[in-house]
Amino acid sequence: MKQHELDNRLSTIEDKLIRIERRRAPSAAEGAGDRVYLLCEREQVFEICRFLFEDLALRFVISTGVDAEDCFEVLHHFANDESGCIATVRAFIRDRENPEIESITPLIPGAEWIEREMHDVLGIGFKNHPNLRRLILDDDWPEGVYPLRKEVQT
Amino acid sequence: MNWKLWSLKKSIWVFHVNTGACNNCDIEIVNLLTPKFDVERFGIKLVGSPRHADALLVTGGGTRQAAVRLREVYRQTAKPCVVFCMGACACGMGIFEKGYHMAGPIDKIVKEVDPNAIIAYVPGCPPKPETMISGVVKALSAL
Repeated sequence: MKQHELDNRLSTIEDKLIRIERRRAPSAAEGAGDRVYLLCEREQVFEICRFLFEDLALRFVISTGVDAEDCFEVLHHFANDESGCIATVRAFIRDRENPEIESITPLIPGAEWIEREMHDVLGIGFKNHPNLRRLILDDDWPEGVYPLRKEVQT
Repeated sequence: MNWKLWSLKKSIWVFHVNTGACNNCDIEIVNLLTPKFDVERFGIKLVGSPRHADALLVTGGGTRQAAVRLREVYRQTAKPCVVFCMGACACGMGIFEKGYHMAGPIDKIVKEVDPNAIIAYVPGCPPKPETMISGVVKALSAL
């Protein structure tokens, strides 16, 4: 499948989901030409992922969490292996005090551990996650300290 | 020579402890046991329990989670024993020096249990098997 075909498929997202912003990767380093960012607010993330995963049959690669100072970002990366294209769902969590987003684990079981890791190191809560226990921090790490947040100095 | 040290220096049995290494040093340690390097000709043997060991081969920088375990392993090792810090991470935490998850380096963790612990350092990322053998020989001849 070529770029324009993926684009055509992705453009149907806008028909199905209202107010979705779509952005090409800005530079070659970020994969311009074969990468699309789908910007959304946290409420829409589950529905967009469901669409990409079930309707477009894209493969879930990995998720990333970013502390962007004024908000948190959770990025779910999906790939189409035939064309090598990547679609990244970039969800913004504006509430820094109590960051929470819907879990995609009920939809994609493979996302369970990466969501637990993001919960550990960034303190992002995942609603409907089946098992949000500590994963990578050590047993006597203090509760409520999230080492990859910008304000934490180590 | 003190008889305890004399007995320590003959055919040392080693126990391998990984405290958060990337596995590269561990692979080189396994390499020591292959026919090419064959450290068993010096009587150096990998054992399954620290209670059988004369030396600890420690790889990795010493994460917070592993530090507790390393202290316990050191307590259970028959004394006198030598601690070999294998690789850059074990010697001085390497690139993980400022990481939030680190409790190391290894010498600091071990000295919390026993301030007079005998510690030898073999730097390198990873150290070559020849370097490891030479480090062990030098450390033992310095005892």
